[in-house]
Amino acid sequence: MPKSFSRIGIYLGGLVMAFPFLWMASSSLKNDVEAFATPPTLWPHKPTTINYHHAFALADFPRLFLNSLIVSVAATLLQVFTSGLAGYAFARIQFRGKNILFLMYLATMMVPLQVIVVPLFLEMRALNLIDSYWALILPSIATAFGVFLIRQAMLTIPKELEEAAVLDGANHWKIFRHVAVPLCGPSFATLGILSFLATWNSFLWPLIAIYSPEKMTLPLGLANLHGEHNADWPLIMAGTTLAVIPVTIVYFILQKQITQSFLTTGIK
Amino acid sequence: MQRKSTKLVASIATGLMLVASGLVVNQAAAASKTTITYFNFTSVPDHVADVKKMVAAFEKKNPGIKVNVLGAAYADYFTKLKTRVVANQAPDVFDLNYENFITYAQAGTLLDLNAVSKKDKSFKKSDYYGKAYDVFSLAGKQFGLPASFSTTVLAYNADLFKSAGVALPNSSWDWSDEEAASAQLKAKLPAGTFADFQPVQFWEFYKVLGAAGGKFLSADKKKALFNKQPGVNALNWLIGKTAKGYMPTKAQLGTGDESVLFKAGKLAMVHTGIWQFDAFKNVPFSWDIVVDPGGVTPGNHFFANALVVSSKTKKAAAAFKWAKFMTSDPTAVKIRVDAAWELPATSAKAPLAVYLAKRPPANRAAVFEALKNPIVPPVIRQQTELQDTVNKWLEKAQNGTISVSEALNSAATEVNALLANE
Repeated sequence: MPKSFSRIGIYLGGLVMAFPFLWMASSSLKNDVEAFATPPTLWPHKPTTINYHHAFALADFPRLFLNSLIVSVAATLLQVFTSGLAGYAFARIQFRGKNILFLMYLATMMVPLQVIVVPLFLEMRALNLIDSYWALILPSIATAFGVFLIRQAMLTIPKELEEAAVLDGANHWKIFRHVAVPLCGPSFATLGILSFLATWNSFLWPLIAIYSPEKMTLPLGLANLHGEHNADWPLIMAGTTLAVIPVTIVYFILQKQITQSFLTTGIK
Repeated sequence: MQRKSTKLVASIATGLMLVASGLVVNQAAAASKTTITYFNFTSVPDHVADVKKMVAAFEKKNPGIKVNVLGAAYADYFTKLKTRVVANQAPDVFDLNYENFITYAQAGTLLDLNAVSKKDKSFKKSDYYGKAYDVFSLAGKQFGLPASFSTTVLAYNADLFKSAGVALPNSSWDWSDEEAASAQLKAKLPAGTFADFQPVQFWEFYKVLGAAGGKFLSADKKKALFNKQPGVNALNWLIGKTAKGYMPTKAQLGTGDESVLFKAGKLAMVHTGIWQFDAFKNVPFSWDIVVDPGGVTPGNHFFANALVVSSKTKKAAAAFKWAKFMTSDPTAVKIRVDAAWELPATSAKAPLAVYLAKRPPANRAAVFEALKNPIVPPVIRQQTELQDTVNKWLEKAQNGTISVSEALNSAATEVNALLANE
């Protein structure tokens, strides 16, 4: 197939993927009548920024951003750290019951949040952490998915490199730090972006764990833009557009690492 | 280089953890005051500033009490509230609407306000609109102080009526008048513009049932009665509008709702709540309201929200003071009326005169006319299950998959099973 065809296909696919975001941004610049007009308009007849002014007036966006940033960055760093350690152990250290333990840990991925939300709430309440940042950070510092991703990446490290490091007198910590982590950089980046996104977008657990407006994260702030009887959709689109800007920036910064990680098949 | 980047990462992580631990409200200054927590949905999102004004006015009058206001959107409010109640962390004061009031009252979650109000010499039951006050009592106990009430009316696009040469709605209309006008409008309005809209769902159904002379439940709430002939007439009235082309189908409604269609000038009449007045105020056409046309008898919605006090609060007196202030103090009532934040459930005439004088709509007297024939929602402990069951069968009837009688009989069977477990 000529390269131009595949290029056109990629651009079209990209447009299809980007279209919901374009529509979201476009709706944020309309009034609610034009937002639902038939036929729909991509570009507003009379673009207005009133929805953004309104969103800032109704929600303390700087505070919401800060709270989401604190929670997401802290949870991401801790998750990457714990997943790296556990992934290394499961991939490179031989110990009894390793495979059974790993399978059991992996099986916890089948349990949805809705099942554990009540015991998790009781646990956080017993620790007196409800309505605090820790209530949002602690439950996500270790995830089976993160361990699985890093383990798979570390399994691809040639044994010869590890043996060479051992010959140089390196212990497990030094092998992890100086050999394994640099070689698995793209996987760590992928885990970082995925866990950042998951924590940034998390709604159900923060809804239950957080009471104070000062501790609310962005998704909670956006949910509070819904009224009892009405939903001002252009207003909500404005709030959502503001909310996705940081994750979009993070993605653009780390996109090479993410693409590289998905392309890597484990042979180096 | 590697050591520097490791140190940097470690520093950032430590810093964030310190920030997370360190961002705590200074509690020392609050030690000398009684702090109560007020959890609400009614102010979110448009009236958060108005609640703050009320709190400021209250704290000025009561310097020993601080009110900590928490809010959540209605869609999430009861999830959070139930979690807090179950976790024994119920807020001192919180909002409840009438539909959920019974559930919380029967669960023992609410404080009987009679005991507290007797100690408050400034409290007068006569300050409240009688019907609104009475609905928040159960078995001789008063569990809530009504903050606001609302109803639904028939809003109409006067310009569309005039362009079609159809006489404007008036307060003497009944269903036959509404249907006749719809038929005339349908014949004259352009394609894509509709005559009428009345939602086919639990809330509208029980009201229309009342207007058709029927009852939803028996007096002892042991049996469903909505599947009798008045119920059949009521449901036929609702779903007939789409069948006759007066009302858009779901596909024709598109991604918006009826309020969007009305604001776009493509809907001549809409049965809607008085909470829409603010949303409609800048539409580019002339509009007004009349009381909802009756069937065999007049009958209109009556909704009310109240402030209730947790039965587990240790600050009952302070909590009651705040609830009383927010629901009946003239300062709070004025803030509410000025902000067009629903109707205060007060018996005082002056604030209601301010409400009547606001424009649009011009015929705000229709709101009080509607309140002469109130139909309160049927409420049981399993309220969510009741609404879901009825809505499920109403939708099947609306889609035409089963007949109206079959739908109502099936719904009644399931509702009777719920009532048996009450």
